[in-house]
Amino acid sequence: MVLRVLRLPTGKIAFAILLVIAALALFGPLLAFQDPLEGGAGILAGPSGAHPLGTDYLGRDVLSRLLAGSRISVLGAAQVTLVAMVVGVIPGILSVYLGSVFEWLTLRLADTLIALPFLVFAVAVTALLGNGIPQAMFTVGIMVSPLFYRVTRAATLAVARSPYVEAAIVSGATIGWVVRKHVWVKVLPPIAVALAHTAGVGFVVVSSLTFLGIGVQPPAPTWGGVLAADLGYLSFRPWAPLLPTALIMATVWACNLLADAIRDVSGEGGKALITAKGVRA
Amino acid sequence: MFRTRVIAALGAVVLALAGCAGGVASADAVPTLRWAVTLPAHWDPVVSGSGAQFRILSLAYASLTEINEKGEAVPGLAESWTYNEAGDQVTFHLRPNLTFSDGTPLNAAAVKSYLERAKTQKDSALFGDLTSIKSVSASGDRDVVVDLTQVDYQIPLLLGERVAQISSPNVDPAALDRSPVGAGPFKVVENVPGSHVYLTKNPDYWDAANIHIERVELLAEPDAATIVSGLQTGVYDLANVVPNQVKAAAAAKLDVVVQPGFNASNISLNVNKPPFDNPKVVDAVRHAINRQEFVDKVTFGIGEVTDQPFPPGYPAYDESVANAYPYDVAKAKALLADAGATNVAVDLVIPAQSTAAEIIQAQLGAVGITVTIKVDPNWATPFFAKDLALSIYGTTGRESPVQTLTAHFGPNGPLNLSTPYEPAGFAEAVAVARQTPLDSPDYRTNLQAATRAGLQSRALVFTYSQPNLFVKSAKVSDIAPIPGQIHWTGLTVTP
Repeated sequence: MVLRVLRLPTGKIAFAILLVIAALALFGPLLAFQDPLEGGAGILAGPSGAHPLGTDYLGRDVLSRLLAGSRISVLGAAQVTLVAMVVGVIPGILSVYLGSVFEWLTLRLADTLIALPFLVFAVAVTALLGNGIPQAMFTVGIMVSPLFYRVTRAATLAVARSPYVEAAIVSGATIGWVVRKHVWVKVLPPIAVALAHTAGVGFVVVSSLTFLGIGVQPPAPTWGGVLAADLGYLSFRPWAPLLPTALIMATVWACNLLADAIRDVSGEGGKALITAKGVRA
Repeated sequence: MFRTRVIAALGAVVLALAGCAGGVASADAVPTLRWAVTLPAHWDPVVSGSGAQFRILSLAYASLTEINEKGEAVPGLAESWTYNEAGDQVTFHLRPNLTFSDGTPLNAAAVKSYLERAKTQKDSALFGDLTSIKSVSASGDRDVVVDLTQVDYQIPLLLGERVAQISSPNVDPAALDRSPVGAGPFKVVENVPGSHVYLTKNPDYWDAANIHIERVELLAEPDAATIVSGLQTGVYDLANVVPNQVKAAAAAKLDVVVQPGFNASNISLNVNKPPFDNPKVVDAVRHAINRQEFVDKVTFGIGEVTDQPFPPGYPAYDESVANAYPYDVAKAKALLADAGATNVAVDLVIPAQSTAAEIIQAQLGAVGITVTIKVDPNWATPFFAKDLALSIYGTTGRESPVQTLTAHFGPNGPLNLSTPYEPAGFAEAVAVARQTPLDSPDYRTNLQAATRAGLQSRALVFTYSQPNLFVKSAKVSDIAPIPGQIHWTGLTVTP
């Protein structure tokens, strides 16, 4: 599957960008050659040998802050994706098999979550539970989970009504066996697409919240926080917002490219994701 | 048929556009001031209280007294005032034939009603400022007799724009909060909360002959970064400006007004809570603060350092005790070690993201105090309930220096985070300052003595003072340099 995605140009670009971002998240704080929290006398300075991307309003090195801020953004996006997947996928499958009451309840809950503006809701939750990325991202993960719920439910419904599954049940197969043997492999491709897409959404959300100063305590650096700070000093460094913006845009773009590539190689029914031992419908 | 419809539609569009253009032209035909501001949450001066909003309310309300460029009390609605021999009673003599914008007479009874409301109304933000006032009575139609609880010569300064913007007694306070009825130079004709407030000239204002602006449009202040372009394009004529936009405003050839004021910013400590219940930790904080960094990074060099609740040069500023706790990291660390305070950690609770807070965090971190910044949009509630251990505050100051001192150092001062703590000797020193007539040769000396006594407080570390900054278009004439206030008399706007 990975190799097939990598054969596509979009897959190559997406992997390359995400690899760099992952490296920044892992090693960014180590690569920062200056203390990203330590200010100096020269505030809002332009690029120089000592500060390749200049300094911010407290005289801190901007490059070091961007590097150090990568981890929070990546971890935040990962948390959103993970929570959304866990919360969405399992009820999505169960809604097909656990009867009409559970189905009705989960569908209405999904409708409700979709109707709520998740950014505003995340802000409200941080006001209630404290200003932290985990609280905010957990909330956003739940708000985004209907995407996984619906995708999984649709794929499960398609499999559950297919003749071979009905035949298996008539032959005495249990629901658990059907889910493990037939349903799970069918829902993996759409989940993989949704996963990549949700990671992109997660990056946008974590950047938006940190832009607003929510979810992170000063002076911790974040991409959104650096962008927000730069916008306040446009008359000094008009080009400065381009750097964090480019990082955020490139990451989200790469996630969406990856989602497209997975969709393209999955094909109808997600054949590419089914192993040799899997069932071919 | 189709062609006719198209022509008719185009005609309608042209007429509509002409109508819009006509609307703009009619607004511009009279001298109109478009001011981008944070629109007041309250228009009732009793509820709005002190702070910076009184400048906006001064459009609709006239005050009992005003101040001149030297900060001295001068006549407003009251044309004069006289103290009794003992100094515990002052009578304000109102101008003749004053009326509110709704036609109600502005007489001594109306002033009495206002002051009593300010003292007793449940949600009054002013009652703490009026502790010197025992009772108010009307003597005839034009004399307001104010009996005092103590000898206090500060009353004419106190009953100025911040505390005595007189409102009509015939309007319910709840209604007043939305639709102000005062006797100011303008009257509100349209108020759309969160959007705009339109005012027109009040012909019944006592100094209407010197009001040359016919209409004021208060427009909700946009993001600070867009203020300059708003003035360049003529959307606004006047706006408040933050220091980091001054360079852009100057580059755009707009007039940057650096208006004097009484502003001072501080770090508020609660000595009733750890770790500041240990005086050595407080001393460590005092020595850990590098005030020049605030001036450089918060005010962009426009402000100045101060370690008192006033800017240097103010009558109550005591030069003899300036820089009593110089910036000394080594000494701060030694004091912490001496106090046995290891792993000192404290939350700095603030209402919004703040560069000053980050500077404090870094400076205290450098001496070994770990500060966690917590942004609480509802910060005002725990701050004024004195529930926080550490916070920051910036005051616009008061016309009465004694009022400024008691607000900061008094046992129940709103800006004293350590209530009921009061530095030893402050009450006595401030009483002497109150009892000193404003024209006495001892006035300045006694004020400074009160400042010295107040500065013994462990609850406040003052940091910097920033003047009031405005940016205006060339259409607006020079703003008189009245400390902390905007006086509308004499101001012109070229249509």
